[in-house]
Amino acid sequence: MGPFRSASDPAERSDSELDKLLMLVARGDREAFEGVYDRLAGPVYGLIRKVLRDPAQSEEVAQEVLLEVWRTASRFDPGRGSAAAWALTIAHRRAIDRVRSETAAAERELRSASAQVAIDEVAESVEASLEAERVRRCLEGLTELQRESITLAYYGGYSYPQVAALLDTALGTIKTRIRDGLTRLRDCLGVSW
Amino acid sequence: MLNRRHLHALAGAYALDALDGAERDRFERHLRRCPACEREVRGFAATAAALAMAAAAEPPPRLRDRVLAATAVTRQSPPDVARRGAARAATRPGVTRSPWVPRVALAVGGAGLAAAAALGVVQVATQHQLDSALARNQEIATVLAAPDARIAAAPTSVGGTTVVVVSRAEQKLVFTSAGLPALPPEKVYELWLLGPGTARPAGLLPPPSGGKTAPVLASGVLADDKVGVTVEPVGGTSSPTTTPIVVMTLPA
Repeated sequence: MGPFRSASDPAERSDSELDKLLMLVARGDREAFEGVYDRLAGPVYGLIRKVLRDPAQSEEVAQEVLLEVWRTASRFDPGRGSAAAWALTIAHRRAIDRVRSETAAAERELRSASAQVAIDEVAESVEASLEAERVRRCLEGLTELQRESITLAYYGGYSYPQVAALLDTALGTIKTRIRDGLTRLRDCLGVSW
Repeated sequence: MLNRRHLHALAGAYALDALDGAERDRFERHLRRCPACEREVRGFAATAAALAMAAAAEPPPRLRDRVLAATAVTRQSPPDVARRGAARAATRPGVTRSPWVPRVALAVGGAGLAAAAALGVVQVATQHQLDSALARNQEIATVLAAPDARIAAAPTSVGGTTVVVVSRAEQKLVFTSAGLPALPPEKVYELWLLGPGTARPAGLLPPPSGGKTAPVLASGVLADDKVGVTVEPVGGTSSPTTTPIVVMTLPA
């Protein structure tokens, strides 16, 4: 599944490699785009699938996102974060767009009934990759409320008021737990930005 | 003051796309004037990216074929010169935004429209004119991005390879080739839709550049159609006059 499966050090190296490839893509280099595709398709598809669940819909959205990466590569600014973060931000946003679109609303209702599943699945789906292991360890270092808030919002695709409702917790509390949790997660992962 | 603290606290939810409409717009306006918030959002986005990496899953192999094929016919957006310039702060809210200041989802309904948006309709909306070449490219891109798009490739009897992407739902196909021998000036490659006992002309291949021919779009593809290519006099003919150099069965 590629370079993102590596430990923090090589991961960082492949990160900047991805940055360089993406800058070539911005100039229309299709060969460089193949490299970008091979590094990003797994995380992009996996993330979207995590949020949307439905494989066919996930594939469709992943295709849109990867083409958007091709199309808008010139908008990537390495001074503002890594190429991976840029692309995965797009991927998550497109998945959320889909989730919040009207057509998904009905299905959504059904799913909110089984929110607990979302929480459990996160732990389970985390594969035996080093990166995933690292993320899992850091997630475990959060308080339960922080962890649930973050995973429901990010992997579950819920808005924070929905998260508050699901966890039966005050809106303001969820808001701060998400922020505090992300801060702790960021420091634990040693994310550079 | 209290209001601003409230806004600050939304940085986490914002980075996880967990804000809805009005609140997100408000936070984005705030972001533009708050470098500290922007830094924080950036760190959170990098953290979220790590969460995404941990969720990586193998996509179906056909996704790669499709995406790579689509890049051949998808025009790239130009760099956002204004944003990189010093006058950035003066840009109108909602018009020019950085990737970290996400655009609200287009209020489009179906998946098809969303796909079209991803392929460049958004870009076109900001242009004054929609010229016919671009329109054709979009039509091609729509076929390539169709959820039911299938790809097939075949060698020809004279060398080179032909590639077809077909969408049954759109009843359209996109045809390209690589490595076909150059023809004398009075000849041309013509594309055909071959039904049972019939051959419908489906366009002329443009002269190759760099060994490849630009994509040709054919509409009205029927269930039983195959695709063929013959060598014909310049201008093409209404029915084939030579033996096809390739006949491809379209993927179901």
